[in-house]
Amino acid sequence: MKATWILPDGSERSADVPAGRNLMEAAVAANIPGVIGECGGTLSCATCHVYVDDAWRAKVGGPGDFEEAMLDVTEAERTEASRLSCQIEMTEALDGIVLRVPEA
Amino acid sequence: MTIWHPTDDGFADLTSHDTFVSGPPHNTFARLRREDPCSWTEWDAGQGFWSITRNEDIHALNRQADLLSSARGIRMEDQTYEEYLARRTFQETDPPEHTMTRVKVAKAFSKPVVARFDAQIRALCDEILDEALDKGRFDATKEIARQLPMRMLGQIIGVPDADLPWLVEKGDALIANTDPDFTDHVLDKMTTDAYRLMPFNSPAGAELYDYAKTLMADKAARGDTEGVLHLMLQPGPDGSVISETEFRNFFCLLVAAGNDTTRYSIAAGIQAMCHQPELLAQMQGDEIWDTAPDEIIRWATPALYFRRTATRDFEMHGKTVKAGDKVLYWFASGNRDEAVFDDPFRVDLARTPNRHVSFGQGGPHVCLGMHLARLEVRLLFQELAKRIKSIEPAGDHKFLRSNFVGGIKELPVSVTLA
Repeated sequence: MKATWILPDGSERSADVPAGRNLMEAAVAANIPGVIGECGGTLSCATCHVYVDDAWRAKVGGPGDFEEAMLDVTEAERTEASRLSCQIEMTEALDGIVLRVPEA
Repeated sequence: MTIWHPTDDGFADLTSHDTFVSGPPHNTFARLRREDPCSWTEWDAGQGFWSITRNEDIHALNRQADLLSSARGIRMEDQTYEEYLARRTFQETDPPEHTMTRVKVAKAFSKPVVARFDAQIRALCDEILDEALDKGRFDATKEIARQLPMRMLGQIIGVPDADLPWLVEKGDALIANTDPDFTDHVLDKMTTDAYRLMPFNSPAGAELYDYAKTLMADKAARGDTEGVLHLMLQPGPDGSVISETEFRNFFCLLVAAGNDTTRYSIAAGIQAMCHQPELLAQMQGDEIWDTAPDEIIRWATPALYFRRTATRDFEMHGKTVKAGDKVLYWFASGNRDEAVFDDPFRVDLARTPNRHVSFGQGGPHVCLGMHLARLEVRLLFQELAKRIKSIEPAGDHKFLRSNFVGGIKELPVSVTLA
């Protein structure tokens, strides 16, 4: 399955992501700049913040309660498209997903 | 004056605070990484523990908080359930309980909030450096490294400057509770158990608690709702409010952790400048500042280890770790792992990527204050480098007597001004 990250400069990077892997880990493995994941995906840092592309927002859904709170801690501005990518797990329904990396 | 090299014989006693008086036993860590990366240490009847020394293994285990719990203590020493309840902070909890507290206080330490301190920190650096550098020859830990985090802490928790030296003295007594230079109640030499229910096992905990109570009452009377202590007292996402004991312990944790970790990062950075003269010129440029703070903090590794407890049996490098066994992540070792870092015993301010574990990266307990720490380190060294032409050791430096906090407690240097 595939995920694509659009970097702040507009360039795109894609990676194959197996089902069940979260998109923070996938980004770190693919060396996507700006997605750091300092707490290893345990909802303690907000350094894997991304904006979900509009076309994918309904499929991805909204944040859980803890994620909701941690989204107040992001470095870049929080929007309705904001998610912590460690909380998004790759599934067949998300094959092809597009995420935007916030400006640092 | 020679650069410091590890002098241990490769078989140092990790349970002994005295081992660390001559610096972390890096020859021992190197041997463990090579030969026995999941190594058992037998210690005083039933108190043994596993040491995890490879960087990759620390990352892999740290994210598995369900397998390796913080809720039975985070130090090598055992504690009873009664002591645990009396002394614990959210450092000694697991998700989701940990997350509940974390989301409350994370806001006070987020990167954008911390960035607002930029001008204030620079002003503090100005004051501190002007005073220290004028002396020409001085103890850099005492005159520089100790000063900045202490004064920042005061601004974050909102206490008057006049109280700061007292707070820092108490914070030192808490966390450096194994070094006779910092406390009259040396933990492993104590002959009384009168303090065992107090934060960090120390009478300083009780004094700090009284201080916090008065401080909060004063703030409440003034209608002051600024700062992290106020956030801590708010209900969490589930409506729960922290108990008085938890608040006391959190305050002590802030005073202790917000204090000496950044201090020893700054001290280690200055020590590195003394022994790698090329660092000063690099710091006078502006190309290394995205990476330099993390490299300085890797070099320092102020928290030498944190401990977890296995919740079920698991296999690691041919050993069986049993449920209930203590497992130590040696950050000091993970930060010198030759499998991850080229030339790990040199400071490379441009190092990238830098998979150091000084902040406990990769797990839920990753340092709450890491953005502030990086900012303080960056601004201090930028300002220092601007002002000097050279810096040299002016005597041997001395390490703290502690196998938990790694720090240079005395660092004599001499400088020539630019």
